[in-house]
Amino acid sequence: MKHILSQIFHTGKFTMGFCIFMGILLLMVFYPLINPGDPLKIVSIGTFARPGTYISLYDAVDSRLNTLKLDEAPANRLESVLKMEDRVKMVMWFEAVEIPIGHLNIHDTEALLALWEEHYDSTVRPEGMTKADRNYFQRLDESLNRVLVTKEKILATRDASTAELQEIRAIEDTDYVNLKNVANVKRLPLGTDNFGRDVLKELVAAIRTSLVIGLIAGTIATLIGLTLGLISGFIGGIVDDIIMFVTNIFTVIPAFVLLILISYSIGQDQRGPTTVAVVIGMTAWVWTARAVRSQVISLRNRDHVNLSKLSGHNLFLIIVTDILPYIASYVVMALILQISGAILAEAQLSMLGLGPKTTEVPTLGLMMNWSMLYTAHLNGYWWAYFPVLLTIALISFSLNLMNTGLDQVFNPTLRD
Amino acid sequence: MNGYRKYFGKKLLWFTITFVVAVLLNFILPRLMPGDPVAVITAKSAQGMSEASAVKEVYEHYAREFGVNDPMFKQFITYFKNALRGDFGLSFSQYPRKVSDIINDAIWWTVALQLPAIIVGWLIGNTLGALAAYIRKGFDKVIMPVALFLSSLPPFGMAVILLVLFAIKLEIAPTSGGYGFDMIPNFSWPFVKSVISHYQLPFWSIVVYATGGQAIGMRSMSIYELNADYVKYSRFLGIKDSKIVGYVFRNAMLPQITGLALSLGTMIGGALVAEIIFSYPGLGTTLLAGITMADYPLLSATTLIITFMVLLATFAIDIIYGFVDPRVKAAQFDE
Amino acid sequence: MGKVMLEVKDLKTKYITRFKEDVYAVDGVSLTIEEGKSLGIAGESGCGKSTLALSLMGYYFAPLHYMSGDIIIDGRNISSLDPDDIRKNVLGKEIAYIPQAAMNALNPTRRIIRFIEDVMKVHKPEMTRPEVYEMARKRFEILGLPEKVLNQFAVELSGGMKQRTVIAISTILSPKVLIADEPSSALDVTSQKMVIKMLRDLMEKGYIKSMIFITHELPLLYNVTDDIMVMYAGQIVERGASKEMVFDPIHPYSKGLMGSIIVPETGTREHELIAIPGTPPNLKKPPAGCRFAARCKFATPECRVYSMEMHEFGEGRSHRCRFSVEHLREVYANG
Ligand SMILES: Nc1ncnc2c1ncn2[C@@H]1O[C@H](COP(=O)(O)OP(=O)(O)OP(=O)(O)O)[C@@H](O)[C@H]1O
Ligand SMILES: [Mg+2]
Repeated sequence: MKHILSQIFHTGKFTMGFCIFMGILLLMVFYPLINPGDPLKIVSIGTFARPGTYISLYDAVDSRLNTLKLDEAPANRLESVLKMEDRVKMVMWFEAVEIPIGHLNIHDTEALLALWEEHYDSTVRPEGMTKADRNYFQRLDESLNRVLVTKEKILATRDASTAELQEIRAIEDTDYVNLKNVANVKRLPLGTDNFGRDVLKELVAAIRTSLVIGLIAGTIATLIGLTLGLISGFIGGIVDDIIMFVTNIFTVIPAFVLLILISYSIGQDQRGPTTVAVVIGMTAWVWTARAVRSQVISLRNRDHVNLSKLSGHNLFLIIVTDILPYIASYVVMALILQISGAILAEAQLSMLGLGPKTTEVPTLGLMMNWSMLYTAHLNGYWWAYFPVLLTIALISFSLNLMNTGLDQVFNPTLRD
Repeated sequence: MNGYRKYFGKKLLWFTITFVVAVLLNFILPRLMPGDPVAVITAKSAQGMSEASAVKEVYEHYAREFGVNDPMFKQFITYFKNALRGDFGLSFSQYPRKVSDIINDAIWWTVALQLPAIIVGWLIGNTLGALAAYIRKGFDKVIMPVALFLSSLPPFGMAVILLVLFAIKLEIAPTSGGYGFDMIPNFSWPFVKSVISHYQLPFWSIVVYATGGQAIGMRSMSIYELNADYVKYSRFLGIKDSKIVGYVFRNAMLPQITGLALSLGTMIGGALVAEIIFSYPGLGTTLLAGITMADYPLLSATTLIITFMVLLATFAIDIIYGFVDPRVKAAQFDE
Repeated sequence: MGKVMLEVKDLKTKYITRFKEDVYAVDGVSLTIEEGKSLGIAGESGCGKSTLALSLMGYYFAPLHYMSGDIIIDGRNISSLDPDDIRKNVLGKEIAYIPQAAMNALNPTRRIIRFIEDVMKVHKPEMTRPEVYEMARKRFEILGLPEKVLNQFAVELSGGMKQRTVIAISTILSPKVLIADEPSSALDVTSQKMVIKMLRDLMEKGYIKSMIFITHELPLLYNVTDDIMVMYAGQIVERGASKEMVFDPIHPYSKGLMGSIIVPETGTREHELIAIPGTPPNLKKPPAGCRFAARCKFATPECRVYSMEMHEFGEGRSHRCRFSVEHLREVYANG
């Protein structure tokens, strides 16, 4: 046993797969400890908040102030409003209204702004420019004005009865607050999704459900496949014929179609994650049954099995002691593949709107489905779908890697 | 040739049996669920309809179709007969369109997309797998994990990635549909051009997806064949390595044909979901419409057609395979 | 004394496993065969018989590697030739090989005649296809094989027929040395007899000039070959004329091997080595001293320290035990 383990870990593929999988498991176990709470809680009003650190403006205002004199501050401020693409657009505007720009360097902020201030006119309607484009330039102009025109900003409170503003103090451009002093800071490493839920938190919870689904479905499929394969291969004869008949039929009728029909018939309300897992498991056993059967057939006439038969051991005992140990490695590999297959199946079902009912738990497939329905991919909200995709791929990849590694150890013909 | 006829007959029989079973499952699965199916299904579909008369008509049509008062067996015969004639009734969601018309519009998009994509993916995958097995060393170290990763990525994932990359970031391909939304299908050059440009992303995402799985299968198969006794024997008769590699790849490639037949169901399932990402006007999108609109006749007909296509393709592959691989002849024909 | 067809001097080869370990499976083997003679090699499973057969071909590919020693075929030392030279001019023509699992030695998807054409293209490129066919047909006829085999695939042949076909192909260029690795082990008794008869025919008709016959079934060797060599853990431990080897083995290992086979009737062949308890040494780290010492009933502590070279003790006989022939005979006599 120890020897086999060391051989298994000797294959780079298994070790790599194992490490990736463990990494995912660790994330699944420990992240909820760091960041407890309901993964489906809506934290942001409005959809798809960008990943990052959110600081409460309300609290920041009251935090202790430091004065920092930073030379690059004004430039940075301008930069945050005037991105490269804005500069390009500005030049396009100049061209559209036929203003000669001469040798204007697009990086020369001062010259560009001077030209803009001199010529920009929101009432001009250049030919071929859509309303959306005109709105864009108007917004750009406003935000530039906000930064450029140094109107004094103050903090004030409003008197409840008189509605009078009472100045507390002026805000200087050298005022800074330390993040540590702000009472409310929220980190959303992967932003929020279409409902305004914390994507990372939801993702971690989804990994858990999807793995559970994979495990349940994989176990069911493997158990059914193993039982049928054992019976069919060992007993042979008419039993074998019948089982193989059924197996062959379900090999060609796509499991995917059965999954759709069954899931649809069960109905949205009945479809919890466990139900979905069971359905997936019940449609996925075919491969395992076939593989186990052929293994058992090659085993059933070996000497030790014959010996057991002659000694009058009963069927169950022979299977458990003389057959199972020899196909154990094979069954483990089948189970691994079934798990990864089931996770993919859940994802695909959910993409079709036939996944687990949506209100209670997140699954990887559901997250994917929601982000697609809300066209996250078309609008550049990568954080809502890309981490999900990556997770699905990594789970499946790590399981497949482990499987390949095991195959190398237990299947000598594949050795180098 | 008599042997081959027997083989053909056997496969044809199988095809027929599986088809009947498929229709039976399509018929029976929804009916196994608790409750009155007609009530459940029409209740669902009625949500999507505003006109009271339409609801009523659909209900009556559906009750007739289901023939709930007839014995189960008779219901099945009616259903089977209708299915054979291609009569799947009227659609709920696109009332009063015929389901068969909707499917007829969609099916050619799917066939034209998936058939070439799967074949191209199969060819590329097998070539890469064979190369990985033969070159081993560095090439294998790269190809193998990449192929494994690609085949681990769900097909819709590949579709999303390609979509974001090429349609949104690089803007060199359209994001959705089978042709420009402002066009009416005809045989003019602009339309064909639009169809071709809309074809690219769905096509390649299915190709990449198919490639990964096939490459891995072919690699193991080739390694297995490279270790076969005939390789050693041929070498000891002085035959050139390049010739022997030819033997090996032919022998490894042939079982990959059946491999394709066996994985076809899974592959098409994945590809259908990839279609959805691009709102491609094929069966995948029809399927989704059937599900989301609770259009039961449409859904049921679509799944039946998909099954039928898979069965037909499997049958065709089996027949071709029996021709090209003498091992099958030996194994099957003299049974 | 006839002309020496094959002479091997102190040949050493090793396997390099994928864990980069060395397995010294042929460790200093010397032998000679004269024209018209056959030599049997016996030994228990894993002792390196097949590896010796491969090594004698002089053509090495991973995981087997040449270390040192000479292989001289009919006066020409082939171990100094470059591999491509060997492939073109030695393999098949000078020395030919029948693999252990001849069942799978033929490419299953190539017609026999196509394969023979491939072989001839290397060695006799000037021959046209009809010429090759004619030649193959004649040779098959002489060897009693039906002509129609030529146009069949390997998978369509029965086990015995496959084996005989392999023998016919191996010897089609009339090699000087034929190495047959267990050519009859996997066959039923009738096929076994046919194969043996065929090999004898080949010798008598002069299609092969000498033969090495490897097996673990000693009774077979006794009937087939002139001389027998016994191999243990990568080395030869004893050599002599067949009859003497069977009825008067000298080395304790040969003694055990013969004793366990001659006494019981053929039905219990499978359990042949029960008579020698213990397992052979690990060829990754062969022990110092006599390799059989750990299992030898008669071993003294010195046996584990000092090893012995092969030494002659009679007409054509030699062995590898430290003890004198007289001592051993006495020990055997006293049980
Ligand atoms: N490809 C290989 N790589 C590493 N070691 C090998 C390889 N093939 C054989 N060996 C080892 O070399 C030794 C000799 O093997 P070989 O096949 O020559 O034995 P054999 O005498 O022919 O046995 P058998 O009677 O079972 O055919 C064994 O210990 C075996 O484990
Ligand atoms: Mg051997």
